[in-house]
Amino acid sequence: RSGSKHSTNPADNYHLARRRTLQVVVSSLLTEAGFESAEKASVETLTEMLQSCDAGIKGMCHHTCFNVDTLPAYAKRSQRMVITAPPVTNQPVTPKALTAGQNRPHPPHIPSHFPEFPDPHTYIKTPTYREPVSDYQVLREKAASQRRDVERALTRFMAKTGETQSLFKDDVSTFPLIAARPFTIPYLTALLPSELEMQQMEETDSLEQDEQMDTENLALHVSTDDSGAEKENASVLQQNPALPGSRNGEESVIDNPYLRPVKKPKILSSRASWSLLLGTKSLASGRELG
Amino acid sequence: WRVEHGSLGFRGLTMFCSILILLCGSSLSLQGFVELTIFPTVANLNRIKLNSKQCRIYRVRINDLEAAFIYNDPTLEVCHSESKQRNLNYFSNAYAAAVSAVDPDAGNGELCIKVPSELWRHVDELKVLKIHINFSLDQPKGGLHFVVPSVEGSMAERGAHVFSCGYQNSTRFWFPCVDSYSELCTWKLEFTVDAAMVAVSNGDLVETVYTHDMRKKTFHYMLTIPTAASNISLAIGPFEILVDPYMHEVTHFCLPQLLPLLKHTTSYLHEVFEFYEEILTCRYPYSCFKTVFIDEAYVEVAAYASMSIFSTNLLHSAMIIDETPLTRRCLAQSLAQQFFGCFISRMSWSDEWVLKGISGYIYGLWMKKTFGVNEYRHWIKEELDKIVAYELKTGGVLLHPIFGGGKEKDNPASHLHFSIKHPHTLSWEYYTMFQCKAHLVMRLIENRISMEFMLQVFNKLLSLASTASSQKFQSHMWSQMLVSTYGFLKSISNVSGKDIQPLIKQWVDQSGVVKFYGSFAFNRKRNVLELEIKQDYTSPGTQKYVGPLKVTVQELDGSFNHTLQIEENSLKHDIPCHSKSRRNKKKKIPLMNGEEVDMDLSAMDADSPLLWIRIDPDMSVLRKVEFEQADFMWQYQLRYERDVVAQQESILALEKFPTPASRLALTDTLEHEHCFYRVRMAACFCLAKIANSMVSTWTGPPAMKSLFTRMFCCKTCPNIVKTNNFMSFQSYFLQKTMPVAMALLRDVHNLCPKEVLTFILDLIKYNDNRKNKFSDNYYRAEMIDALANSVTPAVSVNNEVRTLDNLNPDVRLILEEITRFLNMEKLLPSYRHTITVSCLKAIRVLQKNGHVPSDPALFKSYAEYGHFVDIRIAALEAVVDYTKVDRSYEELQWLLNMIQTDPVPYVRHKILNMLTKNPPFTKNLESPLCNEALVDQLWKLMNSGTSHDWRLRCGAVDLYFTLFGLSRPSCLPLPELGLVLNLKEKKAVLNPTIIPETAAGNQEFSSSQEEEEIDMDTVHDSQAFISHHLNMLERPSTPGKVKVPQSHRRRHEHKKKKKKHRHKHRHRHRHDARERERDREPFAFSSPASGRSARSPSLSD
Repeated sequence: RSGSKHSTNPADNYHLARRRTLQVVVSSLLTEAGFESAEKASVETLTEMLQSCDAGIKGMCHHTCFNVDTLPAYAKRSQRMVITAPPVTNQPVTPKALTAGQNRPHPPHIPSHFPEFPDPHTYIKTPTYREPVSDYQVLREKAASQRRDVERALTRFMAKTGETQSLFKDDVSTFPLIAARPFTIPYLTALLPSELEMQQMEETDSLEQDEQMDTENLALHVSTDDSGAEKENASVLQQNPALPGSRNGEESVIDNPYLRPVKKPKILSSRASWSLLLGTKSLASGRELG
Repeated sequence: WRVEHGSLGFRGLTMFCSILILLCGSSLSLQGFVELTIFPTVANLNRIKLNSKQCRIYRVRINDLEAAFIYNDPTLEVCHSESKQRNLNYFSNAYAAAVSAVDPDAGNGELCIKVPSELWRHVDELKVLKIHINFSLDQPKGGLHFVVPSVEGSMAERGAHVFSCGYQNSTRFWFPCVDSYSELCTWKLEFTVDAAMVAVSNGDLVETVYTHDMRKKTFHYMLTIPTAASNISLAIGPFEILVDPYMHEVTHFCLPQLLPLLKHTTSYLHEVFEFYEEILTCRYPYSCFKTVFIDEAYVEVAAYASMSIFSTNLLHSAMIIDETPLTRRCLAQSLAQQFFGCFISRMSWSDEWVLKGISGYIYGLWMKKTFGVNEYRHWIKEELDKIVAYELKTGGVLLHPIFGGGKEKDNPASHLHFSIKHPHTLSWEYYTMFQCKAHLVMRLIENRISMEFMLQVFNKLLSLASTASSQKFQSHMWSQMLVSTYGFLKSISNVSGKDIQPLIKQWVDQSGVVKFYGSFAFNRKRNVLELEIKQDYTSPGTQKYVGPLKVTVQELDGSFNHTLQIEENSLKHDIPCHSKSRRNKKKKIPLMNGEEVDMDLSAMDADSPLLWIRIDPDMSVLRKVEFEQADFMWQYQLRYERDVVAQQESILALEKFPTPASRLALTDTLEHEHCFYRVRMAACFCLAKIANSMVSTWTGPPAMKSLFTRMFCCKTCPNIVKTNNFMSFQSYFLQKTMPVAMALLRDVHNLCPKEVLTFILDLIKYNDNRKNKFSDNYYRAEMIDALANSVTPAVSVNNEVRTLDNLNPDVRLILEEITRFLNMEKLLPSYRHTITVSCLKAIRVLQKNGHVPSDPALFKSYAEYGHFVDIRIAALEAVVDYTKVDRSYEELQWLLNMIQTDPVPYVRHKILNMLTKNPPFTKNLESPLCNEALVDQLWKLMNSGTSHDWRLRCGAVDLYFTLFGLSRPSCLPLPELGLVLNLKEKKAVLNPTIIPETAAGNQEFSSSQEEEEIDMDTVHDSQAFISHHLNMLERPSTPGKVKVPQSHRRRHEHKKKKKKHRHKHRHRHRHDARERERDREPFAFSSPASGRSARSPSLSD
């Protein structure tokens, strides 16, 4: 264990300290007994013995004829060596100077033997904070310039990393315009709200949703599209008694031709139109167009 | 009243149309056949004419017998290519002749089918014939528009779609039919498409069946209501389907990913349905209705039988304010046309005004109900101003042209550079104005007979039509579904018992508007108002008005209506006044609407009791009024008259009175919350103008600044705008507009005041939309517009090159904002890219004012295909402007090239339109751009390059007219040949074009002097016509070619002399032809006049 590299562990620390103390005890007993020096190995062995003896002192009393009563006298012998308590460094006490507030006494329902409350700073609010800027004007100013700076930096970065266009032939860096890039499907970006806007819309919506839970609003969100993915809405609809019953009934069986399943072809097509058309096409074109 | 109808000689019964659409790889094509069941109406029907363009026709069978056919389309190339004619008069006449030659209403068509002789007996017994035509269409240029985004994936994944489109009757572009609004039949339609696609068409979807290989689906449609071929449409794409939650018969379709927008956009439609059904007391005539939203739309709204095709750009989310009313208007408009336009069709082109009028009128009623009376009156005023301006500019719009036996000199539209005989020759702008006038005239009729009767008339038309529609085929019954001017007027007189003939004569049978000039004097002794009303009826586009005219006089004692009788020679009208000029200061003044208000009367003339006077306040005449009254009267009118039209008129008039009192009146209006928001917006701009006129005496902060601060800025820090909250739309619109108007302010140096610029820049800086329920994209776009408005011309020292170093510091700030906005758009695009559009416009303004070097490169990159259409149009507008300002030949060529090659028809149309509005030069201006090559290029464009799109061709004609005028362009050299052959008199004469300055001529046709020119054009017409007919007689199935017997040719030449009475001439010709064919075999011969080989039928080019 002594070879262990991990001495940072508090349990290890404890063992090491204890062992060191026992070693001091063994050495002092040896000195008392008249030894001038001892081999490391023997001290080690004695320490080991003391350690086990210490641990099993009670059992030893039973198994040996060791008289416990002689111990106090032995302890008070005159020629004993006084060993100073090992310096306690691994359990630093929180400096009192940093305590905040008064230690709270136990409330009446907590028995007194329970441990004391921890230091107040661990559970009370610290009453000290920096006064934030609450001036509206400064705030707006700050928000505005922050946003502007972010936008500017971002767009400049984008411009630097990609192709640009310029309004001045002699200068391409002062007003860099990100080059126009055609889209494959231009209407999607133009019509669909951006993610930012969607997020914003949800936020503002959630504020108002509680107020606006009228039926009309609800009906507006009811979708009857063929995907059938909007099960949520359908269930909302069924739960909602505000909608007229007739409509409620219809909703489940909307008969719209576009929602009907596609039919399988008949095996014998009565009007073999396409084979007819395609078959005669080459023939006809050969004749008509020469 | 009745218009002579050319007869087809048959009536359609049913039409069965089966089409296979192939969308694979680069091939966009369709194959199909149509089966037309017809019912001969004349015994000797031996040729059947149908319309067909672009299609390749493989085979025609009649009752299972092979039938010979010939395909000839004279509109492909209007004037033959070898002709050196370059004058527009000639072209317009030839074009009108070519369109007539295929006009189904005149019994013509591109496709002429010969009835096999075996069936002649059958025909004589007037038995039903079944015509079966196999055809295919490959990469169509018009009529059907394919949108195929070039991305990876299958066609459905790419969002590829196709839809039918066109200007007026354009169905012939995608299948052979009688492409007329007056030929009704019932329909069965089949479309076989890729299994991932949906085909939306007219009528009920009966079933959808897989093909045998399960890769395709066939959509079977059935339309039992008799419908004209021109009202047949088609849209195919991988659409998302939404069944309307309120009306399950209504289905909406949009392109993938747009379903949330579709839900929101269409959530309002059921209310429009309810409104129309209620006022018309008639159910929606079709059993279902479909709306399809597609990309690259030809027009924003197109209504067809039981379905409407919209531009996908009308879709919007709940966050968008500005687009919402516009989209709803489009929906309402299309629905109105479902009743009048689709269900009820027109008898002939000259009856078009009735349909456009009624649908526009009921749409107006919907507007009144939805947006309120103010909005409605504002709209009427706007439309009235538009039509008045257009008619005064161009010389008149005629709603009901009467042709027939008309002589050329009675040509009702001689002032125009195009013929109004056919919808396809009409300039797009003219047609827009035509629709505008039609609904205004309907409103005039309503004023005359009351709305109740008006709605009764509509109801009667609809119920007759729906009775007729449920009948089995009976030609006289089905004609109830067609409206004619005569029938409509008869119905009005039956229902109301009133004679509206004078009204019709004035506004429908005659073009032009009325121009009034009014002034007055108050005669104190007699206590009489002496009103003088003059008319200008000599300028083009005007007409004389005789009849009643309402005048409203607001006096101290109240408001009084007087009806004056405008007569031939009476200019002065005495109107007795009620109040004495002495006034009781305490008394409140009663207004027209019964309200009584306190007024500060100190401004008025102490001798006169008149507060203000209005001429024709109800807009019951199509007129322009220029009325003179004192400035304080206009101010009273603005403050106290409750009619928004009156308020707007006074705002317009106050521009001429830059006084502190006007300023105060305008400011008060601006602040007045009960005032209509559009009036307040107009007041903003007027205030800016007044402030500029008063610049030397103006005191206080710049106009509107303190107002804006009070309304929209924080109480504690007035330089910071509140965080956006657009819940109140009225203040939203005002908030948007005020900075734009303020930016127009100028100081004594004619610069925008620094204070104003800082103010606008601060608005942009502090703009905060985080807490707003609505998008602020339109608001931000307007802020950029405001920045652009603040730009004034750069002070230039000896024309130095614009560089960054000598950039004005204010402009630098503006440019900084524009750069940031434009770049942010790439990362966080705004709805419809409104901000990009505004930025592009602003950059062009900076270029034009000399702050930034003028360069079209940026705009050209934004004009490319693949950008959103609004961006492209804005960029193209800048290029057009650049072309004009810098006289750039290169850019003009670039634009012309785009007109020919761009994939989007709307963009092509728009470029022509913008070039016409902002031409690089006009006929009276010398320009280095004007040269022979350009003339040839444009001539080619309108002659043959635009045959697939009527609208585009008319647009090219408009541009040609703007650039070169009606006669031969002045930049062309005189024709080289001095001698020409006169075919008419069979002798050579001196080329007449050498004598007059403007006349034209060439080797082939001679053109005589000015007064004879019209006649000569008729000759050309009839030549084209004859040659066309000669071509038609050819039978491709007949082997060999027999020369024309001389006698026949002579007969035709003889006929050329009969240049007038073309209608009769045509009939006779047909009879001749028929006789000839009946008794003789040879009918194939080549045309002497045509330069085209008769052996090569012009199939799709």
